This record gives sequence, structure tokens and C-alpha cells, in this order.
Amino acid sequence: MVRILVFVSIVLFSSHADDAYERNCIKCHEVLPFSLREIFMRYLAAYGGENNVKVGLNHYFKYPAKDISVMSIAFLNHYGIDHHSKINEKELKQAIDIYWQKHKVIGRLK
Amino acid sequence: MLVSKSKGTNSLLASEKKSLYRFLTLYVLMMMSIIVLIALFYYQNQEKMMFLSKRDMLSDYAYEQIKKLKILHNTFPADNAYPRDSRFKSGIYDLEYVKIFSLLESEDIDFTKDMYRTSDNKIHFVKTLFEYYLGAKYLFLEIPDDGDWREETWENIFIFGGLAIVFFTIIGFYIANLFLSPMRSSLLLLDRFIKDTTHELNTPLSTILANIEMIDTSSIGEDNQKKINRINIAAKTVSQLYQDLTYITLEQDIHKNDEKVETKALIENRIEYFDSLAKSKDITFVLDLKKSYIHINRHKWTRVIDNIISNAIKYNNRKGVIYITLKKNTLTISDTGIGIELTKIPFVFDRYIRFNHSEGGFGIGLNIVKKIIEEYDMKIEIKSKPNEGTQVVIRW
Repeated sequence: MVRILVFVSIVLFSSHADDAYERNCIKCHEVLPFSLREIFMRYLAAYGGENNVKVGLNHYFKYPAKDISVMSIAFLNHYGIDHHSKINEKELKQAIDIYWQKHKVIGRLK
Repeated sequence: MLVSKSKGTNSLLASEKKSLYRFLTLYVLMMMSIIVLIALFYYQNQEKMMFLSKRDMLSDYAYEQIKKLKILHNTFPADNAYPRDSRFKSGIYDLEYVKIFSLLESEDIDFTKDMYRTSDNKIHFVKTLFEYYLGAKYLFLEIPDDGDWREETWENIFIFGGLAIVFFTIIGFYIANLFLSPMRSSLLLLDRFIKDTTHELNTPLSTILANIEMIDTSSIGEDNQKKINRINIAAKTVSQLYQDLTYITLEQDIHKNDEKVETKALIENRIEYFDSLAKSKDITFVLDLKKSYIHINRHKWTRVIDNIISNAIKYNNRKGVIYITLKKNTLTISDTGIGIELTKIPFVFDRYIRFNHSEGGFGIGLNIVKKIIEEYDMKIEIKSKPNEGTQVVIRW
């Protein structure tokens, strides 16, 4: 009985330890040659401010298309574009917020 | 209302001065506005010239800094050291105007201009990035403003502005004099006319007064006595006018012959002189006279007293009262007459100014009073209320 309780606790704990960003983004992007940081910097260079970047990301997840992608044509030709996101709105927003916090430039320059 | 006249008053009429002041105020305001506008335009132009001289250099700096930002963008976060340059300070802001990083010393940030001077004397050059390296849309470069151009500009503004003010002020006075010359010509013409006619009044007037004095009134009837009294009053009125005109045209430049005058006796003498005139209007005198001496030309002092008493009779109501108080250094003459409106009091000393045309005269009496008062460094105050009366106070 004790063993069962410990196992359930470990499973529940480990599932909550992964945040929305890790659950939904990292697994898919692990296989790509461009890291999420590199993609973030491309978004930042294209969209500029925090709100703009977040809106751009949100829009791309919902309506992915080559002509609005920040990636190069060679990359898109080789890997194509991602399918329509299945993540719900709340989860997507959380993931994007975490993504911004992890890679933002503001406050990190010296 | 209190009006004080002193020696500081110049020879211009108050109305003349008022016109002159109005014109000069308007002229000076317009002139200053134009000079300020030109100075402003010149200052802005000099600032633009200064910006222009630094723009190419700052554009080159910006180009170099953007290249460094691009490199940092690609190496961030492994390298997070913001590129510094000893020639300038810089800062980057995103398109939402949020500061990403800044080394700028001035907090005066303006996203609407591409180059400007801050309130703390720095020059800011703003470069917009088309690709937002590190998220930056605006790159601000800052260099100190040495202020040399500003010093030179202010120097030029003060020198040339000052010269322009002096030049235009001289022109202004010239134009003002041109405007006032017709008014002066009219006054000179009137002066000349009075001077010419005054000469002709003396002999007949003296004859009338001498003969009236010689008439034996006891031998004539009461009716004729009244008529002779009226002739006497009329002759004295004309005589008074004659004295004023003579003074203003001939005697005002005679300064000396000052003597110690006992004013109490003089006033009593003048009241006796004006007695018949006062009685014709049933006016009574209330006197409170103390012994008082003054060092003055007796004739001029008589003109002052005569004119004030004459006015107090002329502008008094029938059955009115004239109060005369003499103290050591103060003479006060009050009447219970028609008074003077508040706005007109400052002009009572102007020559040919008369506010009430029901009585005779040229409007020169108080002008003579003022001139004598100023000549002897005395002070005169006029307090008046319409329909209540006027009080004239002379202090010496």
C-alpha cells in the first residue's frame, strides 16, 4: 500500500513539475537544428517589443504559414511548417510567457 | 483720490504724455516681439547648423554601433556585454518605448525627434533600426554639447538685439514727436494769441477798476449800487484772468525777488478781494488761520492762493462754504462744490483743460499753480468727490 502511494505521488509530482513551455515546446523543438533561443532571437529581431513578440508567436501557433514565419526559406523548405497547434489558449499563453521570460534580453545586458 | 505733483513732472501735458506713452508702449511691444521672434529664429537656425555639423559624425557612430549590436544579437546570451565606445554614450529602446539597456547620462528621451539637445546640455542622436537587434528599434547616441555655439549665438543676439532696440527706440521717439507736433503747434498758436491780446487788456481793465473804487456809493441809489457791484465783480474776474494770462505769458520766467511772506495776512487780503465775488453766490468763508511764513515770490504765492480760492468760488454751489485752514507748513482750501470725477483729477493741472464749461476761464489757473508749486519744491494734493466738493492741500 505504501509503495502504491509513493508511486502515485511521484507520478503526480513529476507531471506538475513540467510547465506549459516544457510540456508543449521543448519536445518538438529538440529534434530541430535551431534551438528555441535562436528562434526567439529571430522573433525578437522581427517583432521588437514584448507584446509584439507575444502576439506574433500566438498568431503563428494558431495560423502557421511560410510567409509569416521568421525562419529562413531553406529551413522551411527542408522542415516545412508545423501543423496547427492543439494547445488550448490558456496553455499557449502560459507557454509564450515562459518562453519570453527565459530568453528575453531586457535586464540581461551588462 | 489723491494726486501728488512734484518737480519731477516735466513740461509735457498729461494728455500729451498719455498719448506718447500709449504710442511708445505699443511701439516698444511690437518692436520687442519682432526682435524676440527674429532672435528665436536665429537661435533655432544656429542650433540646426550645429546639429548639421555633427550629424554625419553621429551617423557614422550609429552605423558602427548597430554593427556591434548585430554581433551581440547573434552571440547573446553567451556574450551579454553591451558594446561601449569612448566617443559617445548609447542606449537602446524597443518599439514599445521600453528601455532595453542604456548608458545615457541624460534622462531626457524623445522618440519623436531624430536629433535634439537635452535639458542638461547633451546632444541626442536617434537612429531607428529596421531589424530589431536585441529587440531594439531605437538607438540613442549621446555626446556632450560644448555650448560654444550657444555662447556665440547669445552674444550675437545681445549685441545685435541691443543695437536694434536702440535704433528702433530713436526712430520711435522721432515718430512720436512727429505725431505730437500738430498738438504742440496748436498750443503754441494759442499761447501766442493770448500773449498778443493780453497786452491790450491792461489799460482798459485798470481804468474800470480804478473808477469803480473812486465812485462814492453813498450818493447813489441802492439799485445802482447793485449794478456797480456787479461791474466790480465782473472787472475783478477779468482782472484775475488777466493776472493769470500775464503770468503765463510774461512773468513765469522771473524767478527771484523771493521774500519772507506772512501767509495769514496774504490770505485775509485775498479773501477781502474776492469778497464781492463770493457774496454774489452767498458763499461764506470759514477760516482757521495760524501765523505762517514762507520764503517765496509774493506775486507768485498770490497767484497760487488766488487761483485756488477763485476755483473754490467758481465751482462752489450757491450758499456754499469755503474752508481755509493754515498751519505752519500746510494750507488747505476746501469747498462744498460740484467736485471733480476721479478719472479727471490727474488732468486738472494741464493747460487749457476745463471740465466744466459753465464758468468762464481758459483752464490755465491750476497749470500756473502747478508750475509755481514745482518751482518751490512744494507738494500739492487734490482730493475730490463729485457733488461733495474738492480739497486742495499745499505743503512746503
